[in-house]
Amino acid sequence: MSQSSGPRAAKPWLWGLVAAAVIVAGAVVGVALRPAAREARSAGGTGGGAALHLNALHLNISSCGERWGDGGSATAKGGAHRFTFVNGNTGDVEVQLQEVASKKVYLEVDGVGPGATGTGSVVLGAGTYRLVCYPADADPVAGPEVEVGAAPAGAQLTPGIVPVTTNDLIPVAKAYGTWVEGRLPGLQAEVRRLDADAQVGDLVAAKRDWLTAHLDYEGLGAAYGAFGDHDAAINGTPAPGRTSLDDPQLTGFHKIEALLWSGAPAGRVAPLTARLVSDVDALAADPRTDRIDPADIGVRAHEIVENAIQFELTGETDAGSHTNLATIGANLDGSQEALSALTGLLASRYPQLADTEAALAASQKLVEGYHRADGSWTPLGALSRAQRQQLDASLDTAVELLAPVAEITEPRKALS
Amino acid sequence: MTGTTSRRGFLGALAGAAAAAPAGVAAAMAHADAAHAAGSAGSASDTAGKSAAKYDFHGAHQAGVLAPVRRSTALLALDVTAADRAGLQELFRTITERARFLTTGGRTPEVGITTVPADSGILGPNVVAGGLTVTLAVGASLFDERFGLASVKPAKLRAMEDFPNDALDRGVCDGDLLLQLEADDVDVVTHGVREILRATRGGMQLRWRRDGFASPPRPSGTPRNLMGFKDGTSNPATSDEKLMDELVWTHSGSGEPEWVEGGSYLAVRVIRMLVEFWDRVGLDEQQQIFGRFRDSGAPLTGTKEFDDPHYELDPTGAVIQFDAHIRLANPRTSATAKQRMLRRAFNYDAGIDANGNLDQGLVFTAFNQDIERQFVTVQKRLADEPLADYISPFGGGYFFALPGVKNASDWLGKGLFA
Repeated sequence: MSQSSGPRAAKPWLWGLVAAAVIVAGAVVGVALRPAAREARSAGGTGGGAALHLNALHLNISSCGERWGDGGSATAKGGAHRFTFVNGNTGDVEVQLQEVASKKVYLEVDGVGPGATGTGSVVLGAGTYRLVCYPADADPVAGPEVEVGAAPAGAQLTPGIVPVTTNDLIPVAKAYGTWVEGRLPGLQAEVRRLDADAQVGDLVAAKRDWLTAHLDYEGLGAAYGAFGDHDAAINGTPAPGRTSLDDPQLTGFHKIEALLWSGAPAGRVAPLTARLVSDVDALAADPRTDRIDPADIGVRAHEIVENAIQFELTGETDAGSHTNLATIGANLDGSQEALSALTGLLASRYPQLADTEAALAASQKLVEGYHRADGSWTPLGALSRAQRQQLDASLDTAVELLAPVAEITEPRKALS
Repeated sequence: MTGTTSRRGFLGALAGAAAAAPAGVAAAMAHADAAHAAGSAGSASDTAGKSAAKYDFHGAHQAGVLAPVRRSTALLALDVTAADRAGLQELFRTITERARFLTTGGRTPEVGITTVPADSGILGPNVVAGGLTVTLAVGASLFDERFGLASVKPAKLRAMEDFPNDALDRGVCDGDLLLQLEADDVDVVTHGVREILRATRGGMQLRWRRDGFASPPRPSGTPRNLMGFKDGTSNPATSDEKLMDELVWTHSGSGEPEWVEGGSYLAVRVIRMLVEFWDRVGLDEQQQIFGRFRDSGAPLTGTKEFDDPHYELDPTGAVIQFDAHIRLANPRTSATAKQRMLRRAFNYDAGIDANGNLDQGLVFTAFNQDIERQFVTVQKRLADEPLADYISPFGGGYFFALPGVKNASDWLGKGLFA
């Protein structure tokens, strides 16, 4: 799983939606279905048929919006609120709507440029809320507090969470990095064993040890370019128009796989296994390998499974060993590891954390079912349509549940 | 100040809101549709795409059965991956809830900083109904051992057989479920497909898919197929409730389980047209094959599209051959009157084959009270018709369109579990 894309897309701009529903699902019996959005009657314009409250505010260096209660008062009705923020600062500003007592944030509008207008919508229940402005080059400013009443019956409230900050994520990233670091010696030993097999011409052993080493590497979760150029050297895939076998530039696991499973002589395999040893050593020696950017940790759990679906479940990376299912199993382990590092932050913020863990475990169990008693793995091509459907459905369920993890654990500003 | 609800609570709240919907308004809009008023399901409205049509989601029948054909459709055949009976019920509830929202329209929800956007955004923040209908049908395979439904299988539901001129690819046949989305515009259909599949990710998997379109009248009357002929001219009038009750709606009793009341057997046939070959056939032969004039759609014995062919005045087949498509399909005798079905035909245009020929054809769908008495009987009669040389049926299946969702607390397929 070596393909890497560019950096994950920036947090989507919050356009001026009128809030209608909350998307939170509890456990579902037997099958995990994505919770569906609640409808909003367009006749009423908002969820529950209630009025939409429009709050047009001005932000500047010393204030974060006017009092936005009814008629400029300190009290507002619950329900759907749409905010527009005109940024009177000389730099960008980020705005959050915070419930004062809980510190939960219900709305965040990012990157409103000087003179520009940002918009965001939310459905609020009872509580005392304030806006908090984070100007680019100045201290945060809190706006006036507004007491909001209960939302109309039937309104689906926007959920709020206490933002996750970079400070929150630093120990998580550190712990995950320590885990990665702890795995590296094992990987180094595995690739040395593979290399030794090739050097003595024992290609049967080499195939076995290739798989062990490859799964060790895949379990590290190198999704989305986490290991940069090291990943290209260790686990790269052929250039467009080339195969793993005929791409002269390709090195690493898939090149070795192509040689081993196409019956190439040991003399052709050995230089590549030797090269793999040095490339894995370089990865292990690179201080960046176990220094995970705190901003990446939440993304990783999600992206590992996305990459598994895109490149492994399709068989795209297969260079002859037909071990994609084994790779998926290793990827799921890697995702589980990244998720585990985050559970402390997610426990209070993600109601479906247990569902997510259960979905990953279910997928792991399903995949492990294709691991034969003799140690070999069922090739993807040998699965029946029903088996493929079950596998696709299982991984889809897990990845849908992992998607919010990246959003929740995106490092944000917070005012306590 | 709790901002969350459980999934079940969420669905419950939704149901409550939907109960307050002004159902009559939507129904009135649907009935105001020109094509519907004309009583023919086989005609795409001239105003499709311009109107803000909305078909009432609640009713004794699913709205998509009798609604006029709209410009764009997607047929999704799916296999259920839900593990058990409870999972299947949850799947049906979720499909129902999504279909109710999508066919009604409304604002997409605001999720704050807690998750990814709730909606794909294809239709913007305010989802339009866009004349969307979502029709759910079940296939025979759903009634195998997995969900304990064998005892409530519709009596006539079975896998589609190979007819004499068929070239069925079983990879694009059958399925546990068939979902048909149909709307005025392609983006509304695409949005619906995305949202329903996203909401049901773990519960079902696509087996095959076929998209279709209905053409506007050229220049008037019933839309044309890709052989240039009007298709669906002799459809029974959907405005005739008594006729629909005799030809479309399945009733309980006579071997049929209780729950089927108000549902309908759906035959789907995906038929490639060998259009390059067809375009090398002379007009006279083309017209003989169909039994109609290509330009007007009139029977060869008549002058206007909707003229009766009056076979009794052509007893030797001198004008309309005995094996002409329209004469075999609908002989218009009292004995064959109950074999008529409600056809809803779409065209498809799906790229090319290995030789570079166009892959175009017909997505034939037909609703039947009794699939054996109607579709199967007629299809057998069409065996080896001259048209068969120019077409190749390769996909589809038999399904049973579930009865309608009666109110906000009802859901598609509920009767299966009674």
